Amino acid sequence: MTRTARTALLIAWIAAIVLLGYYVQQSLTISGDLRLFLPSPQTRTEKLLLEEVGESPASRLLLISLDGAPPESLAESSQRLAAALRSDPQFGWVSNGAASIDDIPDALLPYRYLLSPTLDHQKFDAAYLRGELQERLQDLSSPAGTALEPLIPRDPTLEVLKLAEAWQPAKQPQRQYDVWFDSQGQSALLVAATKAAAFDPDGQEKASDALRKHFEQSRAAPNVRMTVSGAGAFSVLMKGRTQAEATVIGTIDSIGLIVLLLIAYRSVLTVVLGGLPLASAGIAGLAAVSTLFGSVHGITLAFGFTLIGVAQDYPIHLFSHQHPGKSALATARSVWPTLATGVVSTCIAYLAFLRSGVNGLAQLACFTIVGLAVAGLTTRYLLPRVMPEKTRDPGESAWLARLWSFIAKLPRPRWLGVAIVLVCVAVLALASTPMWQNDLGQLTPVPQPLLDTDARLRQELGAADVRRLLVVDAATADEVLTSLESLQPELDALVQQGAIESYDDAARYVPSTARQARRQQALPDVDALRAALAQATAGLPFKADVFEPFIADVAKAKTLPPLTPAALAGTPLELQVGALLLQHGERWTGLVTLGGVRDVAALEQLAERHAASARDRAPSSSATPTSGDLASQSGPAITLLDLKQASEDLVARQRTHILYSLAIAAVLLALTIFAALRSLKRMLRVIAPMALTTLLILAILHGLGVSLNLFHLIALVLAAGLGVDYALFFEAVEDDPAEQRRTLHAVLVCSLSTLLVFAALALSTLPVLRAIGVTVTLGIISNFFLALLLTRPAGEASHARP
Amino acid sequence: MLAKLARPAPATTPFVEARFSKLLVEPLVVKGQLEYHEDGALVRAVSEPFRERTEIKGDTVTIERVGKSPRRFSLNRAPELRSMLAGFGAVLGGTRATLEQDFDLAATGDTSHWRLAMTPKAPTLGKYVRDIVMEGHESEPRCVVVTQPDDEASVMVVGNAAASPLPQPLTRESLERFCASQG
Repeated sequence: MTRTARTALLIAWIAAIVLLGYYVQQSLTISGDLRLFLPSPQTRTEKLLLEEVGESPASRLLLISLDGAPPESLAESSQRLAAALRSDPQFGWVSNGAASIDDIPDALLPYRYLLSPTLDHQKFDAAYLRGELQERLQDLSSPAGTALEPLIPRDPTLEVLKLAEAWQPAKQPQRQYDVWFDSQGQSALLVAATKAAAFDPDGQEKASDALRKHFEQSRAAPNVRMTVSGAGAFSVLMKGRTQAEATVIGTIDSIGLIVLLLIAYRSVLTVVLGGLPLASAGIAGLAAVSTLFGSVHGITLAFGFTLIGVAQDYPIHLFSHQHPGKSALATARSVWPTLATGVVSTCIAYLAFLRSGVNGLAQLACFTIVGLAVAGLTTRYLLPRVMPEKTRDPGESAWLARLWSFIAKLPRPRWLGVAIVLVCVAVLALASTPMWQNDLGQLTPVPQPLLDTDARLRQELGAADVRRLLVVDAATADEVLTSLESLQPELDALVQQGAIESYDDAARYVPSTARQARRQQALPDVDALRAALAQATAGLPFKADVFEPFIADVAKAKTLPPLTPAALAGTPLELQVGALLLQHGERWTGLVTLGGVRDVAALEQLAERHAASARDRAPSSSATPTSGDLASQSGPAITLLDLKQASEDLVARQRTHILYSLAIAAVLLALTIFAALRSLKRMLRVIAPMALTTLLILAILHGLGVSLNLFHLIALVLAAGLGVDYALFFEAVEDDPAEQRRTLHAVLVCSLSTLLVFAALALSTLPVLRAIGVTVTLGIISNFFLALLLTRPAGEASHARP
Repeated sequence: MLAKLARPAPATTPFVEARFSKLLVEPLVVKGQLEYHEDGALVRAVSEPFRERTEIKGDTVTIERVGKSPRRFSLNRAPELRSMLAGFGAVLGGTRATLEQDFDLAATGDTSHWRLAMTPKAPTLGKYVRDIVMEGHESEPRCVVVTQPDDEASVMVVGNAAASPLPQPLTRESLERFCASQG
């Protein structure tokens, strides 16, 4: 090829990468939803977890603590911050303890008699009203009189206050200067619910930035400090840390890789050209994922690029095997059978993930397979046509020759192999470490001091447990509310026993229509109320027509249609109730969040009792449930959902699935290599290093007390792919000493460059990066030496192969 | 003048308070005792016509009534009480500076009969309290009148004056005359 033609092709190639890159940039949306990495649900609990509940409403809560200044100043900051957050559309419910009757929207005021429990056990008769009015007289002459005076004509029973108190969290921190403070009185406490879900790191990050901004603008004194905790805050923190560390490692890797390639080939142009197949692979992989899936998960991107990093090896094989006198194209042709076998077998291993049933993993597999295939094909068909002639030949290197003959003379005792296998199996069988890590949280663990802070704030605020929930499922919202109401006496009993500290559910805010109707029934009509009031005020110093607004409100409440959850739209209660009462398709789900869970068994018993009574399907009655006949009440299914357990079960099932797929992939891989080499013996030689390495890695990790997670599995597949590549090249080498040295050079450069990348990851402080780094690092070292030793048994190292 | 009023804690004084309200045809009258404790707590113990004990300590107000669980709320929710307490504390402690932080002060009269008007500076206080007027002679405070912006008021008669019968019929005017008199 002429120089001009080479240049033109190179420009066309780069232009194609840029164009495809533009397409990707236009069409690809990056998603942050971690649920992409969870398999499709099968059991009812998994369905609840993934489709209906998603997460506990408690996981959206940010727990905020302000300290570092005198209490007055903290209280002032708390008030201003709460006001700012309430006006920010990114936040739902915000509370700092300052309960006031302003919390109850005007539209709901007439409903107070239907929402408050007073009428369940009380009639508005003369005796009750007189008692209340006497108390109001005392209130008027008390220090609280000025504040209460305007309320009394409209609301002489102070129903609004009862409601405001009932809607407060069941367990609350102490108040100073009207707002929540911790028990030492050192820090003001607030709770804010984000509208973004906890598993939406981008939404959480925006909310977190907004919170910081509001804090900066609202602090009453310059030395006020803010501490934020909660699931969302943690996900932002860990995302930031993972990205920061990955960026540092990535930068170090890139520099190291370039230096290594420059040393190996002493040509800038070679290094630049060597990057082209990898760049093509990345862009093509993204384009494929974007076309097939629409959106790509951030994790797919990060790990995908790690996985297709293997493609950097392909040009290295080409470069190392090329020498003066042999054209690049001829070199490509001669290494292609071996290279292609490597590419195909690696792709087959990733097929296991493509059909794992997990969307995120399927994306990862699609990205990797397309990327590797493109890298292989461009290395074969494009790269040789743009490469310059070569002047140096690794085949002439004296030290590579010495290294090769040293390795060739190494003893290869069979008993050592058997011994290694036995030791590995023994370690795997005997070490007490759990084999698998099912807790997803352990992948990006939150530092202990932050967890301690979180636990302290959660305790102080009485915030709900993010792990356990009771779930009620029914056909209509009202049925859900009814069964929540029937559950309340039992939950109250659990609070009494100390099994739980508190609970919260939608029926606390919106009673069922039946309960509201009963209260409506209990309200007196206008004439009866007037008569009762006249009797009640006799002899009391109230002016005659003072309570007309009260009479009007009761008359209005008597004819109101019952308040439905939908009617809360636009009120501060909308979000609070919306988080606890969810609609999905034709069904409604009610959640009961639990605070301070101490006795899980008691909760399990409660759920079991209801499961049993639901099985019996006794006809439901709408009468007020009393504690005695609860057991005989039928009810919609009530499930105790342990989010941690459910997600761990899900992970375990997902892994079983992947392991089966991997087993199938291993068989396919062996068949591919057999098809390429057409010899059982040669196939075994190629597979042995990889198989032994996998066993070694497993034994070493297990022996060191590491439980395996999903990312270890991905890394094992990556390491196995590398092992097959090395073994194929060593196995294929002819009995030409120069060719042997070129192959050794190629595999050395490949393994050193890969080692560089993954050794840096292995030093990461983040378990998810470390899992991949350690696994692949061990794999490269073991695969390199085993491939060198096992593919060319001592006897054959010096003989020509038939 | 403030220096003269200053007295060591603990101090105890009987009181009679008349609360005027637009909801009522006649003022509510309660009797009891004010206690100023060494730890800074102020107790307003009502003994007639019902029993009620209000303790203000730090910034927490606790109201206890017979047969009811005590109610607690922050002093911030009863700003008129807060300002009154600040006024009392400052008056009893003789600290003019504290008083001037929250109020514009206007003193009239002489030592035989003095009148101290305190107008809250903060608008949040002004929403509930128009002014607080203390009247007395020599070192004896006699009346504390807290007037709301809607012109309703509570008039508290303290010290020896609380023992003498209130004027009848009990109106704002008759009470004001009573407070202004020498007893």
